[in-house]
Amino acid sequence: MDEIVAEYIRRTVLKIPRDELLTVLQKWAFLSETQLQTINFRQVKDSISQDVVQLCEEKSADMKQAAVLDIIYNHTYPNKKIWSVYQMQKTGEETECFNLSDFKKKFKRRLQSALKNVTVSFKEYEDNAIWIRIAWGTPFRKPNQYKTSYVVYHSQTPYVFVSASVLKSNLPLLCQALVVACNYQDIRQMELRGHCLDSLKDIVFKSYSQNFQTYCPRPLQERKVAPETDLRISYENIHEKERIQRVNQEIFGDGLQPKLEFAQYKLETRFKSDPKMDVLDKKEPFRCLVKFSSPHLLESLKSLAPAGMADAPLSPLLTCIPHKARNYFKIKDKISSSPESFVSP
Amino acid sequence: GVFAHLEMLEAQAQEAAVKEEEKKQQEEKLARLKARVQELRLKRDELRHKVNLQQKGLGKGVVSDPAQPRAQAVLEWKIESIKAMLQVFYLTGISGKLTPQGVCFCISTAYEGTYLSFYYLDLLIKPKVHIHRHSIPIFIPLEQIAEKYLQTDVRRFLSVLSDHLNAYAGRKYQADQLQEHFSDQIEGTLQRNSLCNLLVFNYNIVRKSETFPFSVRLLYSDPCCSLPTEVMVSCAPEAPASLTETAAAHSDLFRRVALHKAFGSISSARES
Repeated sequence: MDEIVAEYIRRTVLKIPRDELLTVLQKWAFLSETQLQTINFRQVKDSISQDVVQLCEEKSADMKQAAVLDIIYNHTYPNKKIWSVYQMQKTGEETECFNLSDFKKKFKRRLQSALKNVTVSFKEYEDNAIWIRIAWGTPFRKPNQYKTSYVVYHSQTPYVFVSASVLKSNLPLLCQALVVACNYQDIRQMELRGHCLDSLKDIVFKSYSQNFQTYCPRPLQERKVAPETDLRISYENIHEKERIQRVNQEIFGDGLQPKLEFAQYKLETRFKSDPKMDVLDKKEPFRCLVKFSSPHLLESLKSLAPAGMADAPLSPLLTCIPHKARNYFKIKDKISSSPESFVSP
Repeated sequence: GVFAHLEMLEAQAQEAAVKEEEKKQQEEKLARLKARVQELRLKRDELRHKVNLQQKGLGKGVVSDPAQPRAQAVLEWKIESIKAMLQVFYLTGISGKLTPQGVCFCISTAYEGTYLSFYYLDLLIKPKVHIHRHSIPIFIPLEQIAEKYLQTDVRRFLSVLSDHLNAYAGRKYQADQLQEHFSDQIEGTLQRNSLCNLLVFNYNIVRKSETFPFSVRLLYSDPCCSLPTEVMVSCAPEAPASLTETAAAHSDLFRRVALHKAFGSISSARES
């Protein structure tokens, strides 16, 4: 077995938490059950990884299998990377009958015709997600297995999820290969980025819980039972509290919000001051960047008004994030007499 | 001690408060019922009066203003007919609810008696009919269907969209059922896609204790149909001639019958 392959497998195994190691190796399905049973998972991680490499040696693992292990690792722990979302466009109307083997062939061929030194691996999952791992080389050097990009694509959708590649120069090539393989005509990067891949999928596929009014019988969700109120206490602002709850529910719905870590607003608006103040005689816009960060941004926005920290309803600039499928905004002045600002597309 | 005494007083006060509250509620209830009785008495008098007038055959009609009842009756008739239409739509799998600025539709899908998912569509009416929000899967060509029909014929739009969704749900159901019940008889994995309109898989046929691999390719090029438009069943070129007949028979079966049921009859046949 190649030393590079051995080292790669060893390092990948080291990344996996000890208690989940067996599950991941089983998902890989390269080592047999009997082989896996010979590994003592209670020893030091270093020793475990050495054992795994030894077993792979016995089965003569090559880079292909090691690449699949890497995909499985990233599929199990996708939130360690930042994912960007790309949107493809086409003008054709026919329903596509997406053929997986065609797709793989086209993608690989397109990529390799432009850059011979690439390793391309695929893995399909139950939810129709196709994971692609690309290890990049240069025209003169073999692919570096540690310089990888990952692409997740659901067939017959116009969206592609790409983990921020180390090598920005390879991005156009990657985009071209995707467009060709998916039978689209154009691709552009959306203003949507985050760590949680599933949430990004929820936002663009519109599968997050939205609040729809309908007659259809839905299972009644457990409403919070009002706590036993002491009759001697009266809440002065109970109406306001109820109003806030109602408005919040209309905007955010009942379910859990998709998980985003930040929202960024780039302001290119003019500083609006009293003309007498004359702070800036230049008519240039005041440049400013506002960034909201949170472990779970949308849930925290949802709880702002009930916690009394903001007025309800919240600014539409904040609440439009899942609906507009973006968390990067540019706000410019409206070029008209009205002093309102607008969000550029 | 003092605290015990205070506690006792507090308990007494609480009891008294609860009793007060109960008494108040009783009184409120009584007042409400009395008001209701009054209401009903008035209504009874009114109806008696109407009956009397009719019996006297004055023929003036119950209400003095002839123009009003017609508008009222028309409005009531409109509401009844809309309710009836909504009821009919609900039975066809499309139901709707008026929202402050438009309508929210719910399209439910089913396949051969099994209820599957439902999808929502929030339409706004101003400035022109357009889709505000929806939960339609991204691979259904919603924008194309909307471009064709939404402005001109909302009913047709809903009907076409419902056809797409029901066909998709049906195809997905068949593929899921096949994977769930016959995974041990399928060689390798079932290759499918998001719309479930291209399925490729392999299975084995045993003849005279020899195993022959069969390869199936099902193409559903009609997005509103849950049966394949094109079926290709092929066996290895060196297989005996009788098997090509079997392949043709299977191909025909897949074209006519739901996938999981067709496969069920194939697998039960091969065991015999």
